[in-house]
Amino acid sequence: MSVYNEVPLMSMHNVTVRFGFIEALKSVNFDIWPKEVVSIVGDNGAGKSTIIKLMAGLLQPSEGKLDFQGKPTCIHSIREANDLGIVSVFQGQEFCNNLDVSSNLFLGQELHDAHGMRDDMAMNTEARKILQEFDSPIRVGQPISSLSTGQQQTVALAKTMLNNPKLILLDEPTSSLSMMQTAEVLNYIKRLRSQTRSVVLVGHDLPDVFAVSDRIIVLRHGRIKGIHETNNTSYEEIIAEIAGVDGEISPCESEGRLQQYQNAVKRNRLIDRTKELQDLDDGSQ
Amino acid sequence: MLEHMARLFGSQTSLRKANRETILEHIQHFGAMTQIELAESTGLSTATISTLVRQLVEENKLTTQNTVRNGRRAVLVTLVRQHGLSIGIHISRHDLLLTIIDASKEVVAEHNLPLAKNHKADTTIERAIVLVNETINNIGAEPSEILSIGLAVSAPVNNRTHTVSLPGVLPGWEGLDIASPLSNTFHVPVIVENDANAAAACENSIGAVQGKPDFVCVEAGEGTGAGIVINDALWHGVTGMAGEIGHIQVDPLGSICTCGNRGCLDTVVGEDRLISLLSVTHGNMTLTDLVSLANQGDPGCRKVISDAAVRIGNVCADLCISVDPEVIVLGVNSP
Repeated sequence: MSVYNEVPLMSMHNVTVRFGFIEALKSVNFDIWPKEVVSIVGDNGAGKSTIIKLMAGLLQPSEGKLDFQGKPTCIHSIREANDLGIVSVFQGQEFCNNLDVSSNLFLGQELHDAHGMRDDMAMNTEARKILQEFDSPIRVGQPISSLSTGQQQTVALAKTMLNNPKLILLDEPTSSLSMMQTAEVLNYIKRLRSQTRSVVLVGHDLPDVFAVSDRIIVLRHGRIKGIHETNNTSYEEIIAEIAGVDGEISPCESEGRLQQYQNAVKRNRLIDRTKELQDLDDGSQ
Repeated sequence: MLEHMARLFGSQTSLRKANRETILEHIQHFGAMTQIELAESTGLSTATISTLVRQLVEENKLTTQNTVRNGRRAVLVTLVRQHGLSIGIHISRHDLLLTIIDASKEVVAEHNLPLAKNHKADTTIERAIVLVNETINNIGAEPSEILSIGLAVSAPVNNRTHTVSLPGVLPGWEGLDIASPLSNTFHVPVIVENDANAAAACENSIGAVQGKPDFVCVEAGEGTGAGIVINDALWHGVTGMAGEIGHIQVDPLGSICTCGNRGCLDTVVGEDRLISLLSVTHGNMTLTDLVSLANQGDPGCRKVISDAAVRIGNVCADLCISVDPEVIVLGVNSP
């Protein structure tokens, strides 16, 4: 939701990330505005997850700078990101398998009662309240290891709701979910947006990406190939940019196609004529 | 009166009543679950759960069966369903709504899947089928229990061919056979209908205008449409365009509509138009944002909505002169 006098929530200026000789991101520039859902799409190895890791504090840019709410910022760890109001959900979220759902939700930020003891009842109540918003039959006392992948993903998403975040980073949130759970996650993203939070979403599934995002950023080989308003673009345009096709066939290729087509037509004519001759033969017999 | 007071003072009776409702709500929401799961999900004690479940079973609202969870015996609790499920699917520009009801017209499950603007017919129908399958599974039913499927779309439907008849409202859907994929999967009859017409049929049978033979049901939201009922029967017209008030010309110098004509009502009160009116002051927003801001008292949003209401009202007045209904029912098809 970009009104002109607003400061972007987060912006990247000429950010480059190198792993040895490989440039995972090259001179990336973009802004994320308050109350906006931005999707990042691209092929495998295009640099989608690298962007998320930069914003979550897991990676530092080799060049360029990051601004958060208009101020240059260095985020060195997930904890620093959390303090700024950035929370993230990654692919293959890891849990403590021996603990139950509510302990996992509050891991590292347990609630305490008046005597400074861990308040399991309050945590369970709170966890139950959050999980109910997700329309999920997960029980708070269940060991996390007994949940399906989709349910674990739901718990990971629920975890983002704890600290009243400003920016939520989601790396492939719907990739292992059933359609019912996908619907819940998409509704959840929409709800986050209406609560004036921003969401950055990495996605493979274009129908999901188009359903919830305001803008779509296409990455290819670490470069930004295009930034589109979702309302003014189409599946075809996005897919072409992901694949690096510009919509035109090279002259050489098109000549080859024409040749193939003409050959096919000739062959068909030949077959038709043979058939006609056979028909004539049959008729005459 | 006594009951009301009891609830105020939190007596045993009212507590039990509230707990019963919680149990029923949870099972309706999350599908079948065991008593222990129910206890953890609702936060009630296992003793309370088993007493209340036993009562509800006696009243024929719930049913139990023995099952095994984590290698232990457990009691699975499900809602008693009147045999036979009916499925309603509503496909609009931004959402797919799924409602499953049983033979007693009780809602068994409900889901809302957000869709992309200009979503493709094949992908959306495919997703609808998957969603129906998963939901049926979740409530512990079999696909063979489905009796029929109603498919309401936010576009005029030709009731001879059962296809979307006008390009533009759902781009790419016109002329496509959207009933066959569903009927081939579930082997039940599929009825395709315009959403305003479907709403009118509902209002007539279970809603606000039961027993009134002549009325009009106007649906306003992403677009505007109306279902006309004359002598207790829906009026479709020759091509299914009857009641498509969103395409009545209200501004002879207006912009071109998706249907190809100029200055249709939808170009003046449609979602895109209302949002573009506010783009300078409020930035990029959705219809839901607009409505919630208006409810919070934002003057600009209130003005936009009240102006739109006047335009829709004028068209409804014209419609009244040509149809002369007893009642106009106003519905909103925005989530």
